[in-house]
Amino acid sequence: MMNRTFFAPLAFTLGLTAAVAASAQTLTMGVRGGPESLDPHFSALGSHAEAAKHIFDTLVWSGTDLQIEPGLATSWKPIDEDTWEFKLREGVKFHDGSDFDAEDVKFSIERIPVVTGPTTTAIYVRRVASVDIIDPYTLHINTDGQAATLPNDFIRLFIVSSDAAADYSTPETASQGFNSGAATIGTGPYKFVSWVPNGDLVLERNDDYWRGMGAWETVIRKEIPNDSSRLAALKAGQVDIINYVSSVDYLALERDASIDAVTGDSVYIMNLQLDQREETPMVRAIDGSDLDENPFRNILVRQAIDQAIDRETMVDIVLEGLGRPANQMMPPGFFGSNDSIPMSEYNPDRARELLTEAGYPEGFEVDLYCTADRLPGDAAICQGLGQMLTQVGIKTNVNAISRTVYFPAQARLDYSMFMNGWGTLTGEASYTLGGLAHSNDPEVKLGAFNRIQYANPEVDMLLQAGAKMMDPVERRATYEEAMEKVMADKAYISIVQLQTVWAAQAGMLEFEPRFDEDTLAFFITPAS
Amino acid sequence: MSTRPNTTSTPLRRFWAEFSENKIAVVALIVVAALILLAVFAPLVSPQNPYDLANLSLRDARRPPGFVGSGGYTHLLGTDPQGRDLLSAIFYGLRISIQIGLAAGFVSLTIGTTLGILAAYVGGRVEALIMRMVDLQLSFPAILLALVIVALLGQGKAQLIGALVAAQYAYFARTAYGAAKAERGKDYIEAALATPLSARLVVLRHMLPNCTPPLIVVATVQIANSISLEATLSFLGLGLPVTEPSLGMLIANGFPYMMSGRNWISVYPGIALIILIVAINLVGDQVRDQFNPRLRK
Amino acid sequence: MLGFVIQRFLQAVMVMAVMSVIVFFGVYAIGNPIDIVIPPDATQEIRAEAIRRLGLDRPLYEQYFIFITNLLQGDMGRSFVYNVPVLELIGGRLPATLELVLISVISATVLGVTLGIYAGYRPDSWVSKTIMAVSVLGFSVPSFWVGLILILFFAVNLGWLPAGGRGETVLIWGTAWSFPTLNGLSHIALPAINLALFKLAMMIRLARAGTREIMLTDTIKFARAAGLSEATILRRHLLKLISIPIITVFGLELGSTLAFAVVTETIFSWPGVGKLIIDSIAVLDRPVMVAYLILVAFLFVTINFVIDLVFALIDPRVRHGASA
Repeated sequence: MMNRTFFAPLAFTLGLTAAVAASAQTLTMGVRGGPESLDPHFSALGSHAEAAKHIFDTLVWSGTDLQIEPGLATSWKPIDEDTWEFKLREGVKFHDGSDFDAEDVKFSIERIPVVTGPTTTAIYVRRVASVDIIDPYTLHINTDGQAATLPNDFIRLFIVSSDAAADYSTPETASQGFNSGAATIGTGPYKFVSWVPNGDLVLERNDDYWRGMGAWETVIRKEIPNDSSRLAALKAGQVDIINYVSSVDYLALERDASIDAVTGDSVYIMNLQLDQREETPMVRAIDGSDLDENPFRNILVRQAIDQAIDRETMVDIVLEGLGRPANQMMPPGFFGSNDSIPMSEYNPDRARELLTEAGYPEGFEVDLYCTADRLPGDAAICQGLGQMLTQVGIKTNVNAISRTVYFPAQARLDYSMFMNGWGTLTGEASYTLGGLAHSNDPEVKLGAFNRIQYANPEVDMLLQAGAKMMDPVERRATYEEAMEKVMADKAYISIVQLQTVWAAQAGMLEFEPRFDEDTLAFFITPAS
Repeated sequence: MSTRPNTTSTPLRRFWAEFSENKIAVVALIVVAALILLAVFAPLVSPQNPYDLANLSLRDARRPPGFVGSGGYTHLLGTDPQGRDLLSAIFYGLRISIQIGLAAGFVSLTIGTTLGILAAYVGGRVEALIMRMVDLQLSFPAILLALVIVALLGQGKAQLIGALVAAQYAYFARTAYGAAKAERGKDYIEAALATPLSARLVVLRHMLPNCTPPLIVVATVQIANSISLEATLSFLGLGLPVTEPSLGMLIANGFPYMMSGRNWISVYPGIALIILIVAINLVGDQVRDQFNPRLRK
Repeated sequence: MLGFVIQRFLQAVMVMAVMSVIVFFGVYAIGNPIDIVIPPDATQEIRAEAIRRLGLDRPLYEQYFIFITNLLQGDMGRSFVYNVPVLELIGGRLPATLELVLISVISATVLGVTLGIYAGYRPDSWVSKTIMAVSVLGFSVPSFWVGLILILFFAVNLGWLPAGGRGETVLIWGTAWSFPTLNGLSHIALPAINLALFKLAMMIRLARAGTREIMLTDTIKFARAAGLSEATILRRHLLKLISIPIITVFGLELGSTLAFAVVTETIFSWPGVGKLIIDSIAVLDRPVMVAYLILVAFLFVTINFVIDLVFALIDPRVRHGASA
């Protein structure tokens, strides 16, 4: 009698504990950078958006290969020249149980310009003139002129709850409201538990998530910016998975049986940019005197530079295999990327011949600038470039500096020859070509990132036409043609496409690498 | 510490006689001298000029010690990620580290001593003003000051030396002031000032030489500190630019490789740095002990 | 006496004022603050908007004036990067740095003084020579180097201690501290050793030098002649005499340790104020930089002031107007 009453509750408790233990799985991620705040509209930085994607959903979803898919919006189509209709997903609930509907989308769009921080997210809604709610699951978005790529812009339009965030939508109240959790109500796969800035973000599973229940009951996102420390934390078992493993450590990890390393192609491509102005500040003759004209304006010189670059060695040695040679500014398979463009041939002898033909038998001297702390391998690639160019006669002084100095100087057109990585995050060419290859013309809002004053009227025409085409097939062909012309001009010389590496405890996890390098807990599952 | 009968003639000889009793300090002094010579003659003794991009080959990158490279010679300490011979890079790195240490030390010495002696000599409000500033500076951590200056002014040798000087001149000023003040009150200075000799001559000829012993001590310590501080700044990413590596920068460049078994890139420059600093400190220790009157009993 | 206190106090205030001007103008006038904060993608309109919103379009002295007014009301502005009040940002991370620094400093001093006194007392024993050799190393080797060796050895190879981060915390008086928990202590261990090493070496050398000097003084000779036991001499005379320079240096070095925590916190990913300032410098988050520097300046001015007062109380010469 006594035994049974004694053992029954015990058995019950043990069974319960076992059941609880089996589902109480926690995923601890060691990440390089974290959110600046928990207000998804505050910053456009990649690391910020990555964190936000755990708690909030975007209107349009960017898939693993950056092609757009339905997110909180299930379908969209242009109704006329400056109106898009979006149909929303029904039956989605926020973490506090309230329903998601068109009110929340309108509220989110209107909130962005008010609360956005210095790294502004207003760029994602810059084409929106006004929003009309037709019914709880249908919206009309009125744009300023034709906006063929509006859905692409919305891959970073995070939707917050119009109820929960109502009182926290001014610059003074937004951060407090979201960082404390009061307004941190989203529709995403995880719910907010706690956050320490630059520290740990703790999340718990949203069991009613519209994509289904995630595998992890708890997710902890630890910010460990130092590469070596992050790897050490993984090896010590403090975290289950880390992102941005440097190429340096990657080779060693391949031989380490206790760690799995997963590589994925990145959307970032390193481009060398050659100033096309009549006069350029940082180029001289070998003896130090001034040159009569800017050598980079001569196509022969640019071709020489292109052929002086040994892309295979760049990938094999400098990046230790973590990359691919690149011949254009977008990865293969993306909208606007052109397969028929040939890969440049490495031929230093030919490069010297071209230079002599161009009138520089002795070569010349140039200062090369790049970042040292923005993308993995940037400084190393730069120094490799310096070597390769010097060996064909272009004496190069390499300056790998902090991005906080580099970008403003580049924007001021201080440099003659510079290199940085560019990532086509929207998945299609108008962002890349429109920003870089069009001549800088604020009136048509194109060429904002063209820092070499490159101007090819044919390219301009193609890009302006492409921006207005609503038919995707026509638009694709136009952009591919533009890409071919731009790369043939060789004012932009693409060098390598980067690869990103993640590392995890061996045999524990499964996930698919993303082009935009995001690490998303919902898509990481325990190994089967 | 015994006192020796004053049999030998010049102060220098007496100094050396006492110094050489401490074998360790002598060895340290030899090491420092050797390193300085290596640094000065780096271009002659290095198998390769690691800064001439035309000599390098990426195919030689990250090779272990003993590898025979495309230049045809053996890389005794291996190569770095750009294909530079590490031994050569260390010699050139020593050059830069020592250059910066000496430059920062010398400029700090000059500025600090001038301020200190000025304050002691002139007295009054000038003295109070200068010494208040110096006191405040002394308690402000050097590394913070250096960090902020470099962050704002950008990277480069001049900016770095400037930051180091700003962080360290106060030590010299403080020491010079203390010594000069003590001398100022002495009778022989008063007597000298009573003569038609110009004040400047009195200061330079009489006060200054008697202040030098403590200044030498401070100088050795501060030079070692400059070198160490520069290495720390380089590690934090705020030191010299990537392509002109001092020893600190070489270590920082090699850090990512520590975990993946390619230790030599960081370890050898690290050892070189440690030897340099420790040797300077050992010499400084002995010099300080010798100049300390309170140990002479 | 009161006159002295007031004079020193006014001097301190003036110094703070000067420091605030230097720091503010230094940080805001050099370079263009807005460049760092806007992404390279920004268009002209976004740029202008950001400048207006951050108040950077007003003349510098007006910005300074606004800054000071706010400062005196306890508002040190908002971080450019995080958009939270700077004081909150710093305050949130202060406990982490404080516990690290205090544990390091106290253990370094206690251990260092003990070892140093021994080394000075028996300078010729091989134990003393070893202590001195180790102290030179601790003094010379840059702390970032030591830090990574520690991680490599204890965390990666041996696996005894964690490689970074802060452990579990408990709430005491409303703030989170990690030293009361065992897990917390295991996380503090390596960074504390790293931070303490330099100070340990310094304390050893200081204590040794002081001991050697004091043992040669007349006071000790007379005490010995009077037949006091060595133990009593050590306790009654040496410790007392040595405490003055030790305490002075302790106070001043406290600040320096706080500064060097910057390096340790970076290597061990310790979420303290030091790491905050490095990150802020890297992205030129100027409000945070200015606030941190002013707080540090304030700390030092206060320490100086207190030390001056203490010396005034002890030493009558200082009170009556002799040189500083």
